[in-house]
Amino acid sequence: MQLLIEAIGFGIASGAVIALGAVGFSVQFGMSNILNITYGSLMTLGAYLGLVLIDRGVNAWIALAAAGVVIGVVSVGFHRWLLAPLVRRGTRAFAVVIVTVSAGVVLQYVIVAFAGPDAKSYGEQSGQTFHLAGLILTASQVAIIVLTTALMLALHLLLTRSTLGRAMRATASNRILAQSCGINTDRISDVAWLLSGVLCGAAGVALAITTVSFDFSLGPVFLIPMIAAAVLGGIGQPYGAMLGGMVVGMASELAAAFSNPAYREVVAFAILILMLLIRPTGLFGTASATRRLTA
Amino acid sequence: MEYYAIVLLVYLGTDLLAAWGLNLEFGVAGVANLAFIVTIAAGAYAYVVFTLPSPAAGGSFQQYVGGLSLPFPVALAGGVLAGAVVGVLIGITGLKRLRQDYQAVAMLVVSLMAATIVTADTGFLGGNAGLVLLPNFAPFSDQDPEIQRWLFVAIVAVCCVGGYLVLRRFTNGPIGRALRAMRDDENAAAAIGKDIVAMRLMVQAVGGGFGGLSGALLVAFIGGWSPGAWAYVETLALLTAVIVGGMGNNRGVTLGTFLIAIVLLQGVQFLPQMAFRIGLREDLGWIVLGVVTIAFIWLRPQGMLPERRPKYGGSS
Repeated sequence: MQLLIEAIGFGIASGAVIALGAVGFSVQFGMSNILNITYGSLMTLGAYLGLVLIDRGVNAWIALAAAGVVIGVVSVGFHRWLLAPLVRRGTRAFAVVIVTVSAGVVLQYVIVAFAGPDAKSYGEQSGQTFHLAGLILTASQVAIIVLTTALMLALHLLLTRSTLGRAMRATASNRILAQSCGINTDRISDVAWLLSGVLCGAAGVALAITTVSFDFSLGPVFLIPMIAAAVLGGIGQPYGAMLGGMVVGMASELAAAFSNPAYREVVAFAILILMLLIRPTGLFGTASATRRLTA
Repeated sequence: MEYYAIVLLVYLGTDLLAAWGLNLEFGVAGVANLAFIVTIAAGAYAYVVFTLPSPAAGGSFQQYVGGLSLPFPVALAGGVLAGAVVGVLIGITGLKRLRQDYQAVAMLVVSLMAATIVTADTGFLGGNAGLVLLPNFAPFSDQDPEIQRWLFVAIVAVCCVGGYLVLRRFTNGPIGRALRAMRDDENAAAAIGKDIVAMRLMVQAVGGGFGGLSGALLVAFIGGWSPGAWAYVETLALLTAVIVGGMGNNRGVTLGTFLIAIVLLQGVQFLPQMAFRIGLREDLGWIVLGVVTIAFIWLRPQGMLPERRPKYGGSS
């Protein structure tokens, strides 16, 4: 019983990080329909940027925000100058995926070339723990759960209450119609990739805070639970991705607690493969797996 | 120096077999198989467990299933078969009528998952440490070492020539045309009576068989195999060879494999070793590889030697 409760606590904490990344992934997919595998390596880059700042004595939460902003800008550039032109000239979907896989590998090995292959750590964050109804969580885990909740709430308000958010949803659902309503869809695309990049960088630092140590393979490894969460919730649907993140996080931690811990990742793999094969439209069946790429 | 030439020849031969198999799947039939390296791994592991003695006899310092002490030709055939079976299993994930990029991602996940499972389950195929102590150049262990090596190169060469002849039967002629039709427009191919599912699985079996043969030959040469040898990025190297050479063109892919697997990935070994960081040359190899892939998809997606479109009667 104690094991179960502990696993649930870890599940919520890792689910929060997964949700953070999965929502970002979903936002850019919803806008452009591109399965951007480079996302994982951008997350790694975020974690290493955080490391550079924290080594210079910057507070971990400021480092998280800073890494988010930098990765956001990089993400916009990556889409505007590499992916969007490719899509515009009619490159086929699988070739775009190969481009994102290649770019991810390039970025990953650039990081290794600069930072070396050894495991890194942010060092001990505050050692305080919280006990909530039997759940035991560290201070940084609680902070990340709070942060994720706040960011999700902010995203929800942005998408539903602001003109920008409405324009984003309009562009995602029908780009040409949105254009003819006078929406500058290129600008909206940039905003979506900026937002998702911010979430990506923040998720990278959050992940590095909650793990003991990390190396250059952080992002690519973490990409699977994230895509699994995004697909589970219906890819392109930010709310689905939040829920999916929780489900994947919980399922992984439970599997780790009650069987070989190495199978933690296998659970996410299995969820992803099964969803892709059986219900690629997500649990709620609203996302479309047949839409074309858009620049 | 002579030994290095032998190493390069064996690498070239095994890479060619693999790249041809991937070209059949990806270039000709349009299945973006990002898990191709798993068929190579299957062939290699099958060869290993077929040739090694049973784990107990070897002092039990490494654990694995099987251990059948079979002779070289049987083990090689076992490698081909294992590659074909795994190829078909991978292909099942591509049967669902998903967008091609979804299929590619599903296969990428299969590749990562296979590596995770093999690493986690140490009793199955040796786990992360892998399996070692195979007799090198197995069929000629009683010969002089130098003759052994050259005889092994000859075996690889025979496999390549034989493989190429088999390959041509699938990439050219009626089968090749049907596969290209499926690649270019699946619905149209189905409408004129082509069985898409059967063709996909056949291509995966044949391509996987090439992968298995490549893996079995490679492991017979290097004498050991572990998850580090088949990371998902290795598929990218083969894919780059196919894209650079020219998707769907066997000669182009042959050229691409030579340029990528030998000139680029072996060439970086000749860069001066940088003292402050060991392994930087290899990192540089992967960086160049990724940039080359992106550059070709951007500038010349048809590759150096583009696929020749067949000309039929009438004006077009």
